[in-house]
Amino acid sequence: MISEEINLKLLKLFFDFKLKPSDFMNIYKKIKDLKATADYFLKKKNKNSMLFDNDMYRPKNIHENLNSLIRYIDKNAISILNISCKEYPALLKEIYFPPPLLFCKGNNVSRNDNIKIAIVGTRDCSEYGKEVAAYLSAQLSKIGFTIVSGMAIGIDKIAHQEAIKEKGGSIGVLGTGIDIKYPYENKYLYEKIIENGGIITEFLPGIPPLKSNFPARNRIISGMSAGVIVIEAKEKSGALITARSAIKENREIFAIPGNIFSEKSKGCHALIKAGAKLTESVDDILVELENYIKNPLYSKSIDFNKIENNKIENNRNFKLGHSNNDKFESGFLNEKDAQFTDCGNLKKFPDEDYSKVYNCLGYRSKSLEEIMIGSGLDVKKTIQVITFFQLNNIVKEVNFNNFVKVGKI
Amino acid sequence: MFFKLDSFSLIGIEAVKVGVEIYISRGMPSFIIVGLPDKSINEARDRVKASIINSGFTFPMRKIIINLSPADLKKEGSFYDLPIALAILVSSGQINDNYFNCSCFIGELSLDGLINPVRGILSMAQKAASIKKNYFFVPKGNENVAGLIKNIKIIGCHDLIECIKILESKEELKKYVYISKKFNGVHSRRYDIDFSEVKGQSRAKRAMEIASSGFHNLLIVGPPGSGKTLLAQRAITIMPDLNYDESIEVTKIYGLLKRPNCELIIERPFRNPHHTISEPGLIGGGIYPKPGEISLAHKGILFLDEFSEFPSKLLESLRQPIENKSIVITRNNTSYKFPCSFMLILAMNPCFCGYFGDKNDKCKCSKKEVERYWKKISGPILDRIDMQVNLPRLKEEEFFGNILTETSHAIKERVKKAFAIQNDRYKNDIIRHNSEAGASYINIWMNQNKDLGKIVTDLSKKTQLTARGISSLIKISRTIADLDNSDEITRDHLIEAFQYKILSI
Repeated sequence: MISEEINLKLLKLFFDFKLKPSDFMNIYKKIKDLKATADYFLKKKNKNSMLFDNDMYRPKNIHENLNSLIRYIDKNAISILNISCKEYPALLKEIYFPPPLLFCKGNNVSRNDNIKIAIVGTRDCSEYGKEVAAYLSAQLSKIGFTIVSGMAIGIDKIAHQEAIKEKGGSIGVLGTGIDIKYPYENKYLYEKIIENGGIITEFLPGIPPLKSNFPARNRIISGMSAGVIVIEAKEKSGALITARSAIKENREIFAIPGNIFSEKSKGCHALIKAGAKLTESVDDILVELENYIKNPLYSKSIDFNKIENNKIENNRNFKLGHSNNDKFESGFLNEKDAQFTDCGNLKKFPDEDYSKVYNCLGYRSKSLEEIMIGSGLDVKKTIQVITFFQLNNIVKEVNFNNFVKVGKI
Repeated sequence: MFFKLDSFSLIGIEAVKVGVEIYISRGMPSFIIVGLPDKSINEARDRVKASIINSGFTFPMRKIIINLSPADLKKEGSFYDLPIALAILVSSGQINDNYFNCSCFIGELSLDGLINPVRGILSMAQKAASIKKNYFFVPKGNENVAGLIKNIKIIGCHDLIECIKILESKEELKKYVYISKKFNGVHSRRYDIDFSEVKGQSRAKRAMEIASSGFHNLLIVGPPGSGKTLLAQRAITIMPDLNYDESIEVTKIYGLLKRPNCELIIERPFRNPHHTISEPGLIGGGIYPKPGEISLAHKGILFLDEFSEFPSKLLESLRQPIENKSIVITRNNTSYKFPCSFMLILAMNPCFCGYFGDKNDKCKCSKKEVERYWKKISGPILDRIDMQVNLPRLKEEEFFGNILTETSHAIKERVKKAFAIQNDRYKNDIIRHNSEAGASYINIWMNQNKDLGKIVTDLSKKTQLTARGISSLIKISRTIADLDNSDEITRDHLIEAFQYKILSI
């Protein structure tokens, strides 16, 4: 039930009276009392002010009237946070224009004792971007950070996916109403993220994806986070909008360097040139966030025992989508075929042909024909070895018939 | 006066015996054909009349009724001209009925008495042999195909007068029996295309070799100009020649087409229909159903180029034929069954612009568009395709370089060996290839090597293969093992087979 009277009043203002949240916030900043502000606008409504014709925040809303909206919110366990309540994200309150109302869903969404960090990047990411996103997200979440991102495909999706498996969990910030699954291919993520983390949005339920709403969402991503990690971004990218609003709000910016020839690195490199922290490891991030980590408010949620074993040098073998444990399962390689290192990695190859192919591979992609010539093997054997490596995430096919080494043995 | 002789009608690929009955009676001169004849049979009245007169006989000016029994079976075609003419001549007392009991007849007459070739002759000859007839009179030109059937004496007649002359005495009959040439598939056709003309693309070639060896379905995905069509066309050059039984089966199907002079077909069919093909054209159909492209590709290759351009309805209708290796078409209360055990090769671009996955980021499609493109092809269809391989655009050095590649002949020798192993394995079974093997065979193979079970479980966990996917994985590895001349499937075979299950798109 929406118990608080003030939430009902605010819903009435934004839904029925079409009040602009920015107008609301302007008055709220002066009065500094939520209830008084709401009453002010309710009174003003009677005078037919021009303020009340904002269609942007509720165009063609699927909910017919306020009552059906309230019923819907109650039925679907959507919680409402207003700017004055204590569950409202602490950092978000401090930004220039915080949303007066937040709709959220999920278990840990209203926690305020964890450090939130945003991971953003392009939807159309490369293998490298995916790997970095998965690595950073999983490592940071293991330590106890909560990963905030935008629930889009590409970098966002991977960051969420990895984080919800770990301790810290993940929060997805939507650019639509909370009941809209956009993009639809993330529908499984919506269900999973609620279990460890949650989703959050400033838009009323039923608001469809609109181009103009996404930059507004980006300010919430950066606003509620202590820092923003930009993994891959083109020159004109939504990730850069997030980064810019983070700069405005004085958040830390971490940019991941990339290939200088790739379009997808241009945005990150521009950020580094402008003074963002060049980030190579989790340590780079932790150094900059020292103030937060030392803050007694947050220190409970951080567990540094996890980080000691996870220096990036030791962890080049981190594989996308597979934790180290299930990389080699019992039946796939026999004991006599292979020897394993402590962390479950393959140390020795089944036979000589495997090492021939392995030595041939590099971080520059090679075609099957090049590998055949380099290793001196026939096509049958080469395909077999390459498939073996692919299955064990040592090799990846990046473009058609271009194989590249992704892990070290 | 009543007289009866035997002829045949076609239901799909099978022939059925049709009795041509005649009754000549007094009354107003007339000539009626009953027994559900179609237009071309009704027109036989004029052809028969003219050819009887032009052959020097007289046409009886009496009331003539012809019945084609069974009377409730719809009949079509010009098969019955010769039997009708002979029946008229016998029942009007112009010739005697010496050898009619042990013979059957088929043939279309010209106005001058010549007998023209007809279609479906192989099916009819088979039927004639199975109902224990001694002589089968066929038109000149059809006898070489009909002569392939054992246990029946084929007599090719040039015209009506010759036919009557042959029927006069035993000596004449013996003289005219067609002596069939020995079947030899040795003089195999030389193709003017060859695998060695395709540069690079080692993986796709290997996939083609495996697919051809076990008759597995294959999907080729690649940008324009990467050689998809080139490779698919050359698949036929590495497949072994048809054996005798297969030749007969294929010839039977081709014999149903309106192409009566067809010889015995010894080369494997390669059908490449355009994507504007209609559903009856692809599957088979019509008022009197004829085989479609899938049946014409029986024992050979059906190549659907630009697969994604085919209407989705057509593709979905392929689902059952791929599984069942035959198609049943039901029209007018009759079911027509055509065999269609073909190897399916599909070729398509990876996206709308065609360049997705190209090394130089040439693709202009957004991720959404690529997904939309792939959504056109349904999961059930993709699931039924055993092997998938992608084809990159050739690098310049590969195109101009002098890397020697294998000729079709060398690959064909290996495929032949794999075929021989499979023939031996399935000698007591109706199936012929690994791709058709059922669960019982898969269980046997899995039990041969105890490690396989664990590996397959691991693999399927990693990649979420469907049950059909797993069984086709094992079938492919069986074919790879056959190419390797190995009795049991080993881990290496399984791993290689897996390469053709992971299409990186």
